Amino acid sequence: MNIFWREMKSYRKSLIFWSIGVFLMVASGMGKYAGLSASGQSMGQMMADMPKSLQAILGIGNLDLNTASGYYGMLFVYLLLMATIHAAMLGANIISKEERDKTSEFLFVKPVSRHHIITSKLLAALVNIIIFNLVTLWASLLIVGKYSKGESVAGDITMTMLAMFILQLLFMSIGTATAAVQKKSKAAASLATGILLLTFVLSIAIDLNDRLASLKYITPFKYFEAKNVMYGGGLDVVFVLLSAALIVVLVAVTYVFFNKRDL
Amino acid sequence: MNVIEINHLTKTYGKSRGITDISFNVEEGEIFGFIGPNGAGKSTTIRTLLSLIYPTSGNAKIFGKDCIEFAPDIKKEIGYLPSEVFYYDNMKVFDLLKYSASFYKKDCTKRIKELAEIMDLDLTKKIDDLSLGNKKKLGIVQGLLHEPKLIILDEPTSGLDPLMQQKFFELLETENQKGATVLFSSHILSEVQRLCNRVAIIKEGAIVTVEKISTLQENNYKKFKIHTKTALDKGYFDLPGVSQLEVKDHLVHFLFRGNLNGVLQKIAETDITNVWIEEPDLEEIFMHYYVKED
Repeated sequence: MNIFWREMKSYRKSLIFWSIGVFLMVASGMGKYAGLSASGQSMGQMMADMPKSLQAILGIGNLDLNTASGYYGMLFVYLLLMATIHAAMLGANIISKEERDKTSEFLFVKPVSRHHIITSKLLAALVNIIIFNLVTLWASLLIVGKYSKGESVAGDITMTMLAMFILQLLFMSIGTATAAVQKKSKAAASLATGILLLTFVLSIAIDLNDRLASLKYITPFKYFEAKNVMYGGGLDVVFVLLSAALIVVLVAVTYVFFNKRDL
Repeated sequence: MNVIEINHLTKTYGKSRGITDISFNVEEGEIFGFIGPNGAGKSTTIRTLLSLIYPTSGNAKIFGKDCIEFAPDIKKEIGYLPSEVFYYDNMKVFDLLKYSASFYKKDCTKRIKELAEIMDLDLTKKIDDLSLGNKKKLGIVQGLLHEPKLIILDEPTSGLDPLMQQKFFELLETENQKGATVLFSSHILSEVQRLCNRVAIIKEGAIVTVEKISTLQENNYKKFKIHTKTALDKGYFDLPGVSQLEVKDHLVHFLFRGNLNGVLQKIAETDITNVWIEEPDLEEIFMHYYVKED
């Protein structure tokens, strides 16, 4: 457990900053909702008048922006982006940093197997993303609840956070697998975030162009969209299974490739 | 008994050469020197022994066990000091040592204090604030705190001042007397000569020779440089044992092996203004080995 606690300690500061960041993101996002709803205009109408492409980019779909939960649904995509960037970078860094900082000659000559080290690091990364998720859940419940005017939001928010957790896990394992496979340890984090941004852009492209709809399987950002997950939609079983399979494969890749790696 | 057995170890990676067909043994209780110029493959060999990198072919055994297969087990009894010391910058010295000790199932606190005392290391400082020499001292304490049976040192003296080098050598000798085997890699011949029983000489990824220090010393070449008042006859220093003789006006260069008295007499008989007698550097020793092979 010593490696686990070392990692928890070394990521403590970063986790605190990310948590403050996500809290501010929810607070400022919902603050805008308060401003707009107070102005008396119907936001739904305003958005409906916008070009479809803009709506797609904002991730609105069929969300009712007049309600706090609907507005939160629009905000969700940005929370998702933030959470997955955190997860991908964390995954890539926690594996590659020993080599990058040349501390591998310290850690990997200790009487522990590489499997043991990877397991400890994955566990620490997992706890970090769980904490990030819980902070986002807590901030969302607190802040959206303030604007909900009695509308029940807890169920929908919890469901979106569950979806977010699956994607966090997925991108964390994309990060760890990239770090294990990639020869240059310095490039791991940027490569992982590159993959992330590429799939994010692809998800917007799919929104803009119906003919790309079949590509939704290759971009995790299309797996669980707020408009589908909320209002009783829940998580699509196909995508849950697909995510689970990807996570298992990527974690296996992490172990297998890291074990063979020249440090 | 052999503590380290290296059998036909080869490591090639990408463009860089790595090591080819390295074989030698290190016996229990000896201080074994591993010398060669920079980039000869010393670190590659050591990193393979520690299973940081994997061999392309061949194998190595430590304590009779394969160094890859039984790596976690073997490493309980290995202390390693890398040539460049890097630690977690934001940690305090003592925290790092405690973290290091936490991997070995014994209480090392007393030993940490002892070693820090000997090496004059401030335990309360942040690693980030340490100078290169102090980082090296931390590396030494870190490598020895669990009282390993095999100590592997990769160019350990770089960055240490002469006083610390002295203390460090004494420390190694004490550990050795207590039964520890030492593999000592270096590009400085004199420190290896001082400390080691046997040496392996590596050049361009291959072992040139494995010899006892005493044998090497018998082969000991001295480098002479003599400045004379008057120009000398070219043949003046052409004695048995002299090689690579060069005479340029008032300056004479040569390598000499054999009875020094003869040469010194010759020098005494001439009118000189200056004389330098030096240990040849490694390159020159290697040249000697290559000449011998040809």
